[in-house]
Amino acid sequence: MKRLITLASVGLWSLGLVTLAGTAAADYPERDITNVVVWSAGGGTDVSNRIISAEMEQFLPVRINVTNKPGGVAGSIGMSYVHGRPADGYTIVGLSESCVTAGVQGGWDQKMDVWYPFIVGGSPDLISVTADAPYQNLKELVEAARSNPGSIKAAASGAGSIHHLNLLALMKGTGAQMSFIPYAGSAPAQNAAMTGEVSVVVTSLAEQQQLLKGGKLRALGMLVPDAFTVDGVGDIPSAFTAYPELSEHLPISQAIGMAVRNDVPDEVKTVLSDAFTKALATDKVKQWAADNYYVLSGKTGDAASEEFARLESLFAWTLHDLGAAKLDPSTLGIAKP
Amino acid sequence: MELASRFADFFVILVTLLSDPANWVVLMGASILGIVFGALPGLTATLGVALLTTLTYGMPLDTALIALLGLYVGAIYGGSFPSILINIPGTAASAATAMDGYPMAQRGEGARALGLSTTASFLGTVIGMLCLVAIAPIIANFALKFTSYEFFLLALFGIVISGTLTSTDLVYKGWISGLLGLALACIGRDRLQFFPRFTFDLSVLESGIEVVPVLIGAFGIPQIIRVLSDGEVLARPKNFGRILPELKTISANFKHIVRSAMIGVGIGSVPGVGEDIAGWVSYGAARNTSKHPERFGRGEPAGLVSSETANNSCIGGALIPLLTLGIPGSPPAAMLLGALMLHGVNPGPMIGFERPGFLLEVTAILLLASFAMWINGMLLARQVVRLLAVPASIFLPIVALMCVLGSYALGLNMVNLYLMVPMGIVAYLLVRMEYPIAPLVIGVILGPMADENLRRALMVSDGSLVPFFTRPVALILVTVIVLTLLSQVPFVRRLTGRLIGVIGHVFKRGTGS
Repeated sequence: MKRLITLASVGLWSLGLVTLAGTAAADYPERDITNVVVWSAGGGTDVSNRIISAEMEQFLPVRINVTNKPGGVAGSIGMSYVHGRPADGYTIVGLSESCVTAGVQGGWDQKMDVWYPFIVGGSPDLISVTADAPYQNLKELVEAARSNPGSIKAAASGAGSIHHLNLLALMKGTGAQMSFIPYAGSAPAQNAAMTGEVSVVVTSLAEQQQLLKGGKLRALGMLVPDAFTVDGVGDIPSAFTAYPELSEHLPISQAIGMAVRNDVPDEVKTVLSDAFTKALATDKVKQWAADNYYVLSGKTGDAASEEFARLESLFAWTLHDLGAAKLDPSTLGIAKP
Repeated sequence: MELASRFADFFVILVTLLSDPANWVVLMGASILGIVFGALPGLTATLGVALLTTLTYGMPLDTALIALLGLYVGAIYGGSFPSILINIPGTAASAATAMDGYPMAQRGEGARALGLSTTASFLGTVIGMLCLVAIAPIIANFALKFTSYEFFLLALFGIVISGTLTSTDLVYKGWISGLLGLALACIGRDRLQFFPRFTFDLSVLESGIEVVPVLIGAFGIPQIIRVLSDGEVLARPKNFGRILPELKTISANFKHIVRSAMIGVGIGSVPGVGEDIAGWVSYGAARNTSKHPERFGRGEPAGLVSSETANNSCIGGALIPLLTLGIPGSPPAAMLLGALMLHGVNPGPMIGFERPGFLLEVTAILLLASFAMWINGMLLARQVVRLLAVPASIFLPIVALMCVLGSYALGLNMVNLYLMVPMGIVAYLLVRMEYPIAPLVIGVILGPMADENLRRALMVSDGSLVPFFTRPVALILVTVIVLTLLSQVPFVRRLTGRLIGVIGHVFKRGTGS
């Protein structure tokens, strides 16, 4: 009898423990998730993260609270914070392609491979000129820049930014020499083009669309392989059509998205990937992407990690070449592109 | 004719907005929240709009806009409370308000000062709103006259004018204080070439010096030390006085109100320059055109009215380039742009076609926000003045705690506290030596703008300084800056004084003979 009771209690305990262990894994998430965006509120990464998080909530039993932790170098403060939290999937980081330079700039001592990323996508870059500029198409601009190197001034956000990298790649691929004038962001760069301070500007289609529609800027070419149609503007050809050799250097696309620590349980990765993929397929997100000229990526896991590794190598070595990197990328084990 | 139909549409929108009781609740709530944000050191309009952006995600667009604009207007106004009552500006925008507001409160006219600042803020917001609806295209074109040259000069002017206005004995001390601020602003990665400057290999310094801890440390800590140890008497709460300002005072200051509102709209419309600088420029203009410039800084209502009108009219100004060009005119407006995009609105030249009536809707909401601010302000003012009845030895330690929390709340970053405390001690020593502190803070705020634009201007012109003298707006700014500087040099003053005397003498003899 005693033995039976012992057996029964052991049985019950083990059953309890098994179910407890089982629920611990199966029940992720059981409390609210915090999404820490490493850029300030209102920016592109922030807006994307808020929309995707809100949509992901529909496919999760909990809420995702979005907060911002900007500062440091290339979002290093926010990334260090999330990386220092437990690997349980309850703290995720909202980041973008610009974060890949945090390592070579000495912001933190990690590579991007510490993350398991989910890429929302981004808006493709294009090159435009001021409305009264004499260049009607990309060929005319490139010819003018070739015959008089450095005389044409091109605006983009600060050295080492994605738009600067796109401009550098365009110049490398076409042999056009323009002098780069850096601005503190895309909005001031576009403003400078409107005031006539510069004649060429490289920003994303999302940032430029209103000015293109309003006739303040003239689009010369998309810096991606595909042409784009913008209502009221018409077709914007791909720069690749006139200069096929650009495909060696471009596209360099935005990778706005979110990530969890790479060492979280597989269960967490599966649950989040599933909710993320479903969120990206909702009508609301599709409509938002179309309205804002975003190209949705939807890459998760290995494909997303590969994308970030490519961007990390490209950005790190470009900064190194510009003399703006604090550390040699090879010391962090970042391969040359 | 067209204007008349626009005003008719405007009232239709206004009535539609008011017909929903939920909008009333949101409006009043956001306005009070804004005033609290503005009044607490460290919590700024920008931060408030950012936080509210998240909360309003699920709301319809018009309700969300009511919340955001209500908070924006409230926060810019709310900064005047601590400026007037304890000489610690709640936001950088109301630093000029403290110049005359605090002496008024010390004289026992705290309630009157609050009433005046409330009414001035209200009138400023309304005039800014009228400019937004009536002359937005003209103002937007004006904003496009500003390139790197003009941005640099404008930043320099802001520092020079605040240095000139705040010095109690020698004007050079104000300029030195401004230069210290500029030097602090150089710390961190420069935004053009990403080169680290004065970071001493510390990664926490890479992103530069945050404005909020400097603002709190430099204004808050010296004031707290002064009152607690040196026995400076805080405002006297005995006479609560009347809060509602006499019509006489308002009408006597009418020209200051109109001028300050115009200055505010103009400065607000220039991208990236906002409320911080508008208050100072307008204060300076009021003092320079006043018949009694010596009364400024000693509790002159005109000074208070000028600064408060200008910083609130800046809101309408800042919305002009935001809505017509998609370029935010001030830091909180930049946050507002993010919020609009979250709701699927893309402000820009096409907004009139894509969303007809949107501009009018924003204007109507701005009007509602300014009424809400005025009502809440008047209700709060009487209660807030009573706070001064609390003994300074209890009240100021609480303020000190708020300062610490305010600095830390910004990004929950300990570095800001490590920055705030030494900043406060340095500021206290400077104040003891009669160096004004406001130019230092303005220097930190405008430093990046001055630095970045000067170097970019030289990049664009291949190192030539000639465009500073050939571009019309730049030339005007250069002239104003040079005149401001020269007018303070004793030698030049004597010379011009003698010159005027000689001319007067010659003139008298000429007419006499």
